[in-house]
Amino acid sequence: MAVLGIPILDGLYPVTMDMWPVQAKEFNRIWPFYENLKQGRFTTTKCKDCGHVAYPPRVICPACYSENLEWIDLPTKGKVIVFSEEVKGVPLGFESPLIHAVIDLGVEPVRRLLSRIVNCPAGALKRGDEVQLSVFKVPDMPMEKGKAGTVMVERVFFAFEPVKK
Amino acid sequence: MARKAVILAGGQCKWGVREAHLVDLFQEAAKACLDDIPTLKPKDIDGLIVATSYAGRCSFQVNTAPVIAERCGLKPTSICTRCDTLCAGGSTGIILAKGLVEAGAADIVMVAGGEKLYTPQKWEVFYSELASVDHVWEGAQGLGLPPPFFALTAQEHMMHYGTKKEHLAAVSVANYNYAADNPVAQMQKRLTLEEAMNAPVVVPPLTLYDCCPITDGAAACIITTDEIARKFTDRPLVYIRGTAQVCLNSVSANFPGEHLADWKHTRIAAQIAYERAKVTPNDIKVAQTHDCFSISEVIEVEELGFCKKGEGGEFCYSKQIEIGGKVPINTDGGLLAVGHPFGATGIRQAIEIMKQLQGRARHQVKDADIGLTHNLSGANAEHTILIYGREPVK
Ligand SMILES: [Zn+2]
Repeated sequence: MAVLGIPILDGLYPVTMDMWPVQAKEFNRIWPFYENLKQGRFTTTKCKDCGHVAYPPRVICPACYSENLEWIDLPTKGKVIVFSEEVKGVPLGFESPLIHAVIDLGVEPVRRLLSRIVNCPAGALKRGDEVQLSVFKVPDMPMEKGKAGTVMVERVFFAFEPVKK
Repeated sequence: MARKAVILAGGQCKWGVREAHLVDLFQEAAKACLDDIPTLKPKDIDGLIVATSYAGRCSFQVNTAPVIAERCGLKPTSICTRCDTLCAGGSTGIILAKGLVEAGAADIVMVAGGEKLYTPQKWEVFYSELASVDHVWEGAQGLGLPPPFFALTAQEHMMHYGTKKEHLAAVSVANYNYAADNPVAQMQKRLTLEEAMNAPVVVPPLTLYDCCPITDGAAACIITTDEIARKFTDRPLVYIRGTAQVCLNSVSANFPGEHLADWKHTRIAAQIAYERAKVTPNDIKVAQTHDCFSISEVIEVEELGFCKKGEGGEFCYSKQIEIGGKVPINTDGGLLAVGHPFGATGIRQAIEIMKQLQGRARHQVKDADIGLTHNLSGANAEHTILIYGREPVK
């Protein structure tokens, strides 16, 4: 695949232009988040020493600096508090309508989670609507892996979608 | 006697869509800055702090400070570095320069900020905005470009406080009209309330004039001590009385307020800055607040204590932000009309406050002796406030 104006990049992968997170465990210590996501689970880290639940997940407890953490499930259903709809001028990589909502998943620290809303036509969403986790595939990441050469790492990401009534 | 930091001089180049490289813009700004103080020469400057955030992405240049020092004929001996706090970069540089000159680690520091955002193909800067927010958690949610986030903020302000679209439009009108005669502003045209109300939709309720443009540009100022400044100028000295920079979140899921229109981190920053400057909101005669969106200025006048929480819309609509009002704000045109090359903005604000306090601003506020600048940066992740005065803190 040609890169206009930069022929030396033909066929190469620039991570600095990748809109999706690097999810491979070789490059990311919170890789279980993405593995859980692939099973439809929305998870984060909880501190086993002080009990603090942090979102987004991390590798230390931000409250007590313990590294003794466990993965816990967050709710996958919530309610729309407020939302915005962008119909024209949607940025590269996203489709119109680009809908964002502050959603209440009912427990701390995700009482006010800001997320994209997918699978929803423009003008259809209302405040108070119920939404649920939506996991989707995003492009595989080509990663150099020693003698194995370049391997393709499968990736997913998430948004929320209206619950069908 | 304790060393006290002052802003000695400053200047900015023409802002807008510029046919120039990032490093060209910095040279233009350095010249504009020294043109403001002909007695000061490049050799007198011993420190350089550069504020730029997009140099790495849009100009393929990191470690910008040595490049800019060399092109501008500077030979720093105390500090030569870059800071990156996006929209607050310039203000961050001034805070750092204040600390250095007051500690005696530097004497005369140029703080220069700038961005070259228009790339040969326009998609790239918009795409790079995915790096301005928490890339993994919010960029991948399509939150890079800020209008959706501030549309949500405006909606929550309207829900909780009854703010109307006219209130937002009044901010755009005031700031555009301040910039109409500003030769370095990106937007130099008068705007009516009717035009602002009938502008094309961006993300409801935000329309065209509610949003600041994308801007190429640079600005530079000189921070030194009062004693050194006296050797170069007879103008009134403008002291940096107090500063604060507050960061409580990066991801909107951890937003510190009750809702997106409740800016707890701004209130904390204001309280700290007022305490350090030994002033109250009633002492502020002129302010430059971060009007990246009209709704931002509405909320800022509340959180900075110029009016009660929830009354920002009415405060702006009733012309309290205009000359003759309670606190004239963004008197050079603000981000909405002068433009917003991220790292340069805090310096632009500082220059306007300096001119106001020296009695030489284009839209002069009578007897201005205390002024304030404010930035928000990221997806409302950080708030930065500086308070300037004709007298030092006693
Ligand atoms: Zn803990």
